[in-house]
Amino acid sequence: MDSLTPSQSVRRSIGASFAGISAALFLSSCAKNAPQDIFVPKGDNAQKIDTLQNIVFPIAGIVGVLVLGLAGYIFYKFRDQGQAIPSQSHGKPVVEIVLTIVPALILSVVGVFTVRTIFDLAKTEDTQMVINVTGQQWWWEYDYPAQSSMGINQPIISSGQLVIPAGTNVLLRETSRDVIHSYWIPALNGKKDAVPGRIHLLRLQADKPGIYAGQCTEFCGLSHANMRMEAVALSKEDFAKWVANQQKVYTGPAEATLAKEGEGVFLNQCVRCHQVNGIKDASGKAIISAPDENVWAGAAPNLTHLMTRNTFAGAKFDLLNKDCRSTVWSAASEEFGAKYLSGVSESCLNQKDLRAWLRNAPAMKPMYADPAKLEPMGGKYRGMPNLNLTEDDIDKLVAYLLTLK
Amino acid sequence: MFTPGSKYFLGLTGLSIVSAVLYMIFVNPNDLGAIALFGVAISGALIAGFTLLNRDGDVWSAQEATEASAPSVPASVWPITFALGLALVVLGMATQPIVFIIGVGVLVGAGIEWTIQDWADRASADAGYNSFARQRAIGALEYPGLAAIGAGAIAVLFSRIMLGVSKNAATLIFILVGIVILAVGVAAAYKPGFSGKNTIRATVVGALVLLIAGISFTATGERKELAKAEEEDHFSAVHRECGEEKGYFDKLANNKVSSRSGIAATIVLENGKLSAQLVGIPVKVESVTIARANSTSVLFRNKDSKDHRLVVNLGTQKVGTTDVVEELGTCTQLTGKNQENVLTLKIAKPAKAGEQYSFTVPGVTGEIQLVVP
Repeated sequence: MDSLTPSQSVRRSIGASFAGISAALFLSSCAKNAPQDIFVPKGDNAQKIDTLQNIVFPIAGIVGVLVLGLAGYIFYKFRDQGQAIPSQSHGKPVVEIVLTIVPALILSVVGVFTVRTIFDLAKTEDTQMVINVTGQQWWWEYDYPAQSSMGINQPIISSGQLVIPAGTNVLLRETSRDVIHSYWIPALNGKKDAVPGRIHLLRLQADKPGIYAGQCTEFCGLSHANMRMEAVALSKEDFAKWVANQQKVYTGPAEATLAKEGEGVFLNQCVRCHQVNGIKDASGKAIISAPDENVWAGAAPNLTHLMTRNTFAGAKFDLLNKDCRSTVWSAASEEFGAKYLSGVSESCLNQKDLRAWLRNAPAMKPMYADPAKLEPMGGKYRGMPNLNLTEDDIDKLVAYLLTLK
Repeated sequence: MFTPGSKYFLGLTGLSIVSAVLYMIFVNPNDLGAIALFGVAISGALIAGFTLLNRDGDVWSAQEATEASAPSVPASVWPITFALGLALVVLGMATQPIVFIIGVGVLVGAGIEWTIQDWADRASADAGYNSFARQRAIGALEYPGLAAIGAGAIAVLFSRIMLGVSKNAATLIFILVGIVILAVGVAAAYKPGFSGKNTIRATVVGALVLLIAGISFTATGERKELAKAEEEDHFSAVHRECGEEKGYFDKLANNKVSSRSGIAATIVLENGKLSAQLVGIPVKVESVTIARANSTSVLFRNKDSKDHRLVVNLGTQKVGTTDVVEELGTCTQLTGKNQENVLTLKIAKPAKAGEQYSFTVPGVTGEIQLVVP
């Protein structure tokens, strides 16, 4: 085999790298387990986007390949090799007119479909349910205002998982407490920024019961990549059961149990930031947490009915262990509600991650939670600090948290 | 050979790498700052490679240069400007931070200009070619830089004039300036005799008027209402007076464009009744839910014939260790008929048991419930 010249060797290396990257990108589109696949709509709004992108992507793809290929060819063919500068001329009217009119026509066609879809997605007249969604570093809070048509007589507050009734037009009213975030459940709709001081509207509708994954899509700081969310769609009957459970009055653990001791640890440590609605101290006084005094964003997840959710820590970790999670995620839509509503039992609890989180949260998820470095934030944390809990305290807390159903 | 464009980007790459290393050593090795600086370095290297490969995408080439046999070095203003910058930096250290900042700016600007001038002066024996080479190398920085300084100066001087004259005069001046600029532009475009020197004359006269008027109004200060407002602390974020206000300040706050930006709810007083509308919800509601510990703006729209203010009632608390109980809350300024005012709330905690947050309007029965979950 003939040996290669240095320039041929470089060319071959660049070509091989390019081919390798292209092949990897192409093969990644074949992934079977891709819960955030933007080409698999599961609701009316996502379907509208999918229909639009089925028109736009092929056009954009062909134009992109043609333009980039031609540019690359010209760039390589006429690269600087010390040749004389060719004679310079300006303009060929026919080419310029064609190159103006053809893109204008293509953009007009794309524009018509795009504008129509944008207006369709912005409709709010057919809203059947409203949920306020507030982003902060690095989790989402959901509050459900009282709305009798949905059986919600008292506001419900939750985090990590957005629970909605299937087949219902849900309007999210998004905002943020600190920086700009962006809410995106690809299977249910496009993304929408959550901006401090503003209310942005996003429609969601899920065709069938199921669980749909999402991800914050606006870079929002250190743990942006760990700011996840899941939308859970339940049948209307199951949603009514979920609402009824969320509105249940708090009853503390039975006396002389490990969980009761855990409630004490919670009152000593966690309640400074985390609210459990209805919790009272030993004297019977209702306790209201004060996250605004400790956390930069002014809020921490409300843990009332924590064990009815499947995730914690901004949906980065599962509350269900691997097997139980798989059972819920893979359930057929008819069985999904019952499996989801069973919540987190002791046998299904993901003890490993929850205990590790309670032991040292900043080691599990990057956060600005080092007590020695809080000066720029006025002494307030972003995220949960290491509380230096003992293993006994962790045992008690886990027992207590398991009662929050 | 290195082209002018590739020199920029290679310089940027080198500077970014050095900055990133220093940042990691002296600031924080795990911070996003170093990643950003390395990102700039990679981008700079990529563009430097492109510019090298295609000679800046430009047919101008140093091939056209006359070989330098003896450098042509004309007199330069940059050494003395650099010295002035140095003097300002030293002076600023002893006096005002602003003098120091201006000094640093002059120092950096003069340093860059001096470097490029020095390089261009040695490019060839042809002074004309050297001037062209200098222009090619620095023009892309000089023009935007001068434009930014000019635009900044115009903005500052014009704002001083507008804040100094009365509101009516400011409106007239704005209209007149617009008409004059339009007239000069039209004349320069369509009158064959009005070009070149006439345009320069008009620009110089305009600049002189702006400069003299701007300096004069900077010396005399802002108009009396603004000075009074400053004196009464109206621009402070902690100004929360719900009592009787000066009428003209109330009117100034009504119907501003900002009132309609970023509101979460609108409270309307009409026919003696209060109602609420939420963004995105077409029907009227009886309660407004806002997120805890989050700044939220609520608009008050008064459709009543009398002036009213919207009050938000945030429960009660004991004063210190006494038995005195005070009502907590805040309010808008007096709002006239068909006018609007905005109220920005940040409520840290839900209402206490037995109490309820609400919006009310003094003198009007009924309320809108305010829920903070």
